[in-house]
Amino acid sequence: MTAPDVDVVVVGGGPAGACAAMVAARAGLDVVLLERGPFPGSKNMYGGVVYPRILDTLIPEWWLEAPVQRWVTRRSTMLLTETQAVTIDFRTEAWGAPPYNGATAYRPDWDHWLAGHAQAAGAQLITDTTVIGLIRDEHGAVVGVRTDRPDGDLRARVVIACDGVNSFLAKEAGLYEHTDAKHYTLGVKETLALPKETIDERFAVRDRHGVDIEIIGATGSVNGGGFLYTNLDTIAVGVVLKLPKLAAQAQRPEAIIAKMKQHPAIAPLVQGGELKEYSAHLIPEAGLTMMPKMVMDGMLVAGDAAALCLAAGIWLEGVNFAMASGMYAGEAAAEAVRGGDVTANGLQGYQRRLSDTFVLKDHRKLHRAPELVLSDRVQHLYPGMVANVVERMFRVDNPEPKPGLRRIVTQERQRAGVRRRDLLRDGWTGFRSFG
Amino acid sequence: MTDRTISFQERMDTAEFRVHPQAHIVVDGAVCADCSTRECVTACPANLFIPTSDGGLVFNYEQCFECGTCYMVCNREGAISWNYPEGGYGVVFRRT
Amino acid sequence: MSIVVCLKWVSHPGEPHDSRFSGMSHADQSALEFALQQAESTGATVTAITVGPPGAEKVLRDALACGAHHAVRIEGPTTTSGTDVATAIADHITDARWVWCGDYSLDRGAGSVPAFIAAHLNAQQALGIIHASIEGDAVHATRRLDGGRRELLEVTAPAVVSVEGATARLRRATLAAVRAAASATIPVVSATTPMHRAEFMVRPYRPRARVLPAPEGATALERLRVLTDAAAASAARGDTVRLEPADAAARIVRALREWGYLAH
Repeated sequence: MTAPDVDVVVVGGGPAGACAAMVAARAGLDVVLLERGPFPGSKNMYGGVVYPRILDTLIPEWWLEAPVQRWVTRRSTMLLTETQAVTIDFRTEAWGAPPYNGATAYRPDWDHWLAGHAQAAGAQLITDTTVIGLIRDEHGAVVGVRTDRPDGDLRARVVIACDGVNSFLAKEAGLYEHTDAKHYTLGVKETLALPKETIDERFAVRDRHGVDIEIIGATGSVNGGGFLYTNLDTIAVGVVLKLPKLAAQAQRPEAIIAKMKQHPAIAPLVQGGELKEYSAHLIPEAGLTMMPKMVMDGMLVAGDAAALCLAAGIWLEGVNFAMASGMYAGEAAAEAVRGGDVTANGLQGYQRRLSDTFVLKDHRKLHRAPELVLSDRVQHLYPGMVANVVERMFRVDNPEPKPGLRRIVTQERQRAGVRRRDLLRDGWTGFRSFG
Repeated sequence: MTDRTISFQERMDTAEFRVHPQAHIVVDGAVCADCSTRECVTACPANLFIPTSDGGLVFNYEQCFECGTCYMVCNREGAISWNYPEGGYGVVFRRT
Repeated sequence: MSIVVCLKWVSHPGEPHDSRFSGMSHADQSALEFALQQAESTGATVTAITVGPPGAEKVLRDALACGAHHAVRIEGPTTTSGTDVATAIADHITDARWVWCGDYSLDRGAGSVPAFIAAHLNAQQALGIIHASIEGDAVHATRRLDGGRRELLEVTAPAVVSVEGATARLRRATLAAVRAAASATIPVVSATTPMHRAEFMVRPYRPRARVLPAPEGATALERLRVLTDAAAASAARGDTVRLEPADAAARIVRALREWGYLAH
């Protein structure tokens, strides 16, 4: 058997890969971090908000140096119909000061910065290099990767696959039982330039404070959601679309964004923004339902490659799950290499860490949420029903007296064609998921 | 450029693509020929798949976001072979 | 030292001062590829050289990864003038037989450095080459001329050759070479002569303003006629002459001086 070239090869320089490489290198291992783009983050795109709490342990006071656009101090959830909008709006000054909560950031900046910490820890970053396959021994254990460079094989004791949502490595290793388009959504967004002062005024924020708006009911007949985030002098506006629906509805993604931007509640916020960048990326949306096996002989899977993305309606998180799973993969790899056992058994520390922390606990708790949020009732019936209820509550119909709330709800439920049983069941699912 | 006035080409030109001479998407026209649903045509965010008047399908790979939507939505086994472009090539994002 | 390739660390035009979008231009990549091919066919060694700050070592490491045998960085700011860059390089490579360069840099684009190096080394020059083939210790090169014509050159050492970006495709470095190059020690030398900051414009070139005399004429109408009269077009400049290159250059300079575009 050929001797390994390095202890650990991390495939993919995104947040999962950078944290895995950082942790493994800090543990004294010989680590190579492979990135297929010209720099880490160059291929990466997301909605726009990162929750970096998990970095407290890796990079103390990370907020002093992280390439942040704005600190999210205001969160809104909007339910839209063609002509109505119901918005729940929350703001707190607490999230605008250390240790902060969420931040908007550009991934080409964020991932590049994070990979810099992996390099500082001693990991060797090699860019412009695509991994095209796994090297496996006669027992099927992963013993390295094959890159697209000449003489491109790199043998390692442990491979950590952080190769993103399409994870050809996890699929090649057979860790996904099956992949189904219905488990994925397509995220499409526009980065629009507006002067900082205009953004501050329109979104009622100041300094580096920013806004995170999640939108339901803005994607027409295609199940999904919308988002609108503020960067320093741009805004990110986009949609997340359920793949099979998108394909079936004959609606182009950019047309769905355009329609959302014309909504009376959205148009004044985005008006005049100059398109700086149009982008798209897939999202593993189905949580536990789709998750692959994450540990095998010689290999761990982390981040989007392991479908560790929380798309649960009011919680839309991914980068934090990537960073955490990468960190735990790095720890487990170091443990396994030191212990001399890099089989699935020796690498079980990874699975244990995932199970014991928010990474899998949040997914278990919210495992029904993704399906609920993307269900036809939540997507197409409830926004109108809720908006009509609110409209009638606040409408003054003198000389008619105000109707009771219960009567309005019943009437609007019937008008929307929602059966009472379904409403109760969805409410219960929501309560159990979110409660 | 406000969105009312920009063409799709202008939209795509806002992102940088380092184009490799060799395509990383390969479409088997024979498999596509009798596909009537053409999911890729609707779903590809970069609009790379273009139906032709004679019922065929042409595709471009140059301005690909490398998202994977096309092969995910495709219902025909073997119609779309899709790999990442050679290291260093393809899309380069800046403000995403 | 026999083959030298001069590389410049440049930023992407749209992203100045951002190391993520920096590297060598396609023209420099082509130059490097020719240098490597020539080394393979002649058994000589390739030295990659750059003038720049520590960040410029990125292009030298890329060259080492692709197969350059040595790399040298001459310390100097990215704003060093083209003449000083050429002097610093020429002083360091006095025994070079072949010098390969990109035809012009992405950021400044004057293309003067290869010419100055050739002058310093008293070497032949073949600049702005669009096709080259290496034939033993000679290079057959094609140069673009006016009117779609081509000039075929047989270049022999010592020579400076500058090539366009599409002339060759740089080979991919092996994984092991990339890893080795990343930790290679790159010698740094100081320039033998002082360096000056280049004075260059970051906007399109516009001729300096000239004082124009007021139009002659007793009445406003006459003056207006002088200003707008198409008949004045007879004074429009433009001469088509066929001259030998040296005479043509002199003629152009004289015309520019007469028209006031050159101060002296």
